[in-house]
Amino acid sequence: MRVDASRFISSGLIEAYVSGLATSNEVQELERGMTQYPEVAAAVNDCQLDMEQYVTLQSKTPPADLKHRIFHIIVNEEAARESGTLTTETDTEEFPETKVYVSSSWRWIAAAAILLLLGSLLLNYVFFGQINDYKGRYEALLSTQNTLASESNLYKTRVEQMEHSMDLVKDPSMKTVKMPGTKPFPSALATVYWNQQSKEVFVMVNNLPEPAADKQYQLWAIVDGKPVDMGVFEMGDHHELLQKMRSIDNAEMFAITLEKKGGSAVPTLDQMYVAGKAS
Amino acid sequence: MGAAVTYTESELVLGLKARNEKHFGYLYDHYSPALYGIALKVVNDETVAGDVLQEIFLKIWRGIERYDSDKGRLFTWMVNIARNTAIDTLRSKAHKMGQKASELGSNGLASDQLAIHPSVDHLGLVKVVEQLNKEQRVIIDLAYYKGCTQEEIAKILDIPLGTVKTRMRNAIIQLRNILKQM
Repeated sequence: MRVDASRFISSGLIEAYVSGLATSNEVQELERGMTQYPEVAAAVNDCQLDMEQYVTLQSKTPPADLKHRIFHIIVNEEAARESGTLTTETDTEEFPETKVYVSSSWRWIAAAAILLLLGSLLLNYVFFGQINDYKGRYEALLSTQNTLASESNLYKTRVEQMEHSMDLVKDPSMKTVKMPGTKPFPSALATVYWNQQSKEVFVMVNNLPEPAADKQYQLWAIVDGKPVDMGVFEMGDHHELLQKMRSIDNAEMFAITLEKKGGSAVPTLDQMYVAGKAS
Repeated sequence: MGAAVTYTESELVLGLKARNEKHFGYLYDHYSPALYGIALKVVNDETVAGDVLQEIFLKIWRGIERYDSDKGRLFTWMVNIARNTAIDTLRSKAHKMGQKASELGSNGLASDQLAIHPSVDHLGLVKVVEQLNKEQRVIIDLAYYKGCTQEEIAKILDIPLGTVKTRMRNAIIQLRNILKQM
């Protein structure tokens, strides 16, 4: 027994144990020896006391605020423990620290991702609004453009019609027959353009009152003292300066009467607005 | 906190287990310099040592239920907590063996401490430093304060692995002889 105990004491295992140098196997071996031999336990205790004396020689007063800091933490912990809100920190002590480090970097990444997402959503909103704005403006421009184009077509048509009328009038064979207003309608005025070669007849309304909806003006040619129907014409379309009527070879006079819609076989004489001699 | 009050170790342990903050204050006042000295010697940085000391006392406060007086003295238990906490901090900070060695070598350990913080005990420490040869001082500090293994010490001191334990034994015997003369 004594021999075994002294073997422990002289092996250097005690010094290795006290200085923290012993491996875990050596620690187990010595701790078995300590329970087995009181001399070994006493030798370890003595060595430990001397080591602690060496440690105590190197004491140093810690910074003054540290005690307050530590007490602040434990007082809070005790308050939490009493109110039952303290999580068992002692058991999970090792893991949360690393976990916090890991998750904190993820937290930053997540925060950055959320910010990017929010920024993207905001830009989407802004751009969508702008697109709607541009779309609206584009549509407005498009409709303006369409309006202009149709107006332009309208004017083009009118110009063409006028050019056509002018060409007719400019023709040297064209004869002009002015038809002033009759006594009941003194301010009325119309003109017949009669091409002496082609025998075509056109009428131009200078000033005639707008007829009722069921009435139409009718042109007559007077040939050998008798009225010849030259056709009815519309007042609605003012753009056409000259309206083509029936052709006639010769006539002494032209006259316009207001008749029922579609025209009459015989002119209503008291409704004669204008009349003019052809020669 | 009552400066006149003194507690026996068993009173102190009972008070701590009952979560008495007055006892904890007494514990702090009496043991924080020794434990701070350990932390400072291990990490070699006053700010880090302060954080380490805070962690040490929180571990003591939270773990006091697990302290068993049959297995050893309270101070021994606390010194082990202090060493393990400080060495863990050191290891996570700088795991290079070379760095630990250079810290030890360049600071010359005790003399540096003395120069900045003269204390009541400094004469004793001067004696220790004077009478231990450098290799003996370094081998104790590498194992005790830096948590080096036998292999690491063999490499740092450039000695055969088989002789590390013997040299440690001689160093500690020399240390204890010096301490006994005081």
